[in-house]
Amino acid sequence: MSTSWLPCGTYHQNYAEDQSLWQTKFIKGKMILLFAILFIGIPLWADNYWMSILNTIGYTILGALGVQLLIGFCGQVTLGHAAFIAVGAYTSTLLILEVPWPQALMDFGIAYPVSIVIAAITAGVVSVIFGLPSARVKGFYLILTTMAAQFIIVDFIITQYVSQIGGRGQAFSIPPEAIKVGPFTIDSDTKVYFMMLIIVILSVTIVVNLLRSRVGRAWVAIRDNDISADVMGINVIKYKLLAFFVAGFIGGLAGAFWISNLAAISPEHFPWFWSLWLVGVILIGGVGSIHGTIFGSIFMVVVMELLQLGVMPLADIYPKLLMDFLFIKEAAFGLAICAFMIFEPNGLAYRWWQLKNYFNLWPFSY
Amino acid sequence: MGETNTKTESDFLLEIEDLHMYFGKVRALQGINLKIHKGEIHSVIGPNGAGKTVMMNCINGLYSPQKGTITYEGRKINRLRPYQRAALGMARTFQKVEVFGGLTVLDNIRLGRHLHYKSGILSGSIYKGKTSKEEIEHRGFIEEQIIDLLEIQHIRHKPVGMLPYGLQKRVELARALALEPKLLILDEPLAGLNLEEVEDMARFILDINEEERWKVTCLLVEHDMGVVMDLSDHVFVLNFGNLIIDGTPAEVQNHPEVIKAYLGEEDLYATRR
Repeated sequence: MSTSWLPCGTYHQNYAEDQSLWQTKFIKGKMILLFAILFIGIPLWADNYWMSILNTIGYTILGALGVQLLIGFCGQVTLGHAAFIAVGAYTSTLLILEVPWPQALMDFGIAYPVSIVIAAITAGVVSVIFGLPSARVKGFYLILTTMAAQFIIVDFIITQYVSQIGGRGQAFSIPPEAIKVGPFTIDSDTKVYFMMLIIVILSVTIVVNLLRSRVGRAWVAIRDNDISADVMGINVIKYKLLAFFVAGFIGGLAGAFWISNLAAISPEHFPWFWSLWLVGVILIGGVGSIHGTIFGSIFMVVVMELLQLGVMPLADIYPKLLMDFLFIKEAAFGLAICAFMIFEPNGLAYRWWQLKNYFNLWPFSY
Repeated sequence: MGETNTKTESDFLLEIEDLHMYFGKVRALQGINLKIHKGEIHSVIGPNGAGKTVMMNCINGLYSPQKGTITYEGRKINRLRPYQRAALGMARTFQKVEVFGGLTVLDNIRLGRHLHYKSGILSGSIYKGKTSKEEIEHRGFIEEQIIDLLEIQHIRHKPVGMLPYGLQKRVELARALALEPKLLILDEPLAGLNLEEVEDMARFILDINEEERWKVTCLLVEHDMGVVMDLSDHVFVLNFGNLIIDGTPAEVQNHPEVIKAYLGEEDLYATRR
């Protein structure tokens, strides 16, 4: 899957060209067009409803990217990623609410960006701590130890202790004027959208770059065959923990970013089901593919939204549907995963690859 | 043996003394003593279950032996992990190919060169500048030194999992070579290859060993007697975890103990040729 064909007549003259990310003028143009649509087209066209959906997609991408890195690229199955997102969100919130920032820093909008960075690093470190068992255990056992992260961090530490800080009760409400990046107060969906876009592009770039350099290759080696990775001089434990760090870092970014979209955060925002959901996203999108993370996130969010659009009108006839919608959503999630496992185990990314290759040759089949 | 006695201590790359390895009650290795000379090709032969691969795994660090010492370049390496031994210049290939099937040939070789890359997580995530320069530099080395030597230009961008077995073996050799090792451990490099591929592989092993650029000491486990006797400077014969004899191919061929243990009553040249 890693190979795709270049158009006829594309010959590279040096190694730099051969291993560049965007190899032809056409691809470069396509990417520029994509960025233009993302940064200019969509904000012009989309209303608040679409913006909120896009923000949800961005949040899902950020969360799933860390899971993809661990499961898809490093082979460390994790089911506790929501905990690291929660660590990011809570660290950022507490830094904004509890630290007596000088008024100048608040005014210039430095407090929130700084808190995002600190939150991401904190989440990375916490992730490493819960990644430590990976030095000893693999597969199913690692799933359970990462699940422990969820229960220890969210259900115990955050619910029982962190939530008590400041005596605010279970939910921390975030004053809208506190979320300020530079001169911009993040108070509308459009502003959240731009912030989301920048953070998502940044994280995706980081992961893509890591994967084509030394660290990422070591991760893939560990995923494919840890014994021969060891023999080739890769310090397996170090690189596993590094993967946990980067995944936690991105999870922390996701959490810290997401508080800008929330009026208040509480432990219920980070249920264990969200960890499972993120794994579902990468299964549907395609394990071991950055495209897959993005496609999976778009698919899941859009399908759930369509489901809501489809089910809600029926609630007039059968009101109980309204109450049961959460369960319908979960059932649809389960069904989607089953269907993908049976009909397209390689995920949406593989379909995308097939489509691209088909159109590379189109209209001739040779 | 007369020739080997004149060697000085510094001519030994690796020395194994009284190596014992047990798996429960199974005595896989019972007191192996052997010395590996710099710049020569050594072969380990012996019937199935003799402990050949176990010995390779002990040298390599995948198993930790219960007793005995392994000395590499005058340094005791018993407690080093496999990746630390790789950093000392020890590379190996496996009996069953253990390539990274989903990655391209180039990426496999780049992975073998992991220790020579320097970029960390920060420069790697930025990529521009240091990392990209380094990637291009090493790409040059891989293309000019390894891919060219092993004649795998045509498959460099193909995923290894899709290649035929013979080429996979060659990619594995390329990957081990990318480490620029001093000691190359080849666990059955010829198993499952056809005659032409065997000849190619034997030629590569000789190239790696003899070319001024490489001069790699090789330690191979092999069953193809014809190749073993032709390639090796030195042959070790194992049986039931004991080293029966070490010597030159000529000495080994005529040793009655070897014929009895390994080949039964048949002719020694039980080769496919």
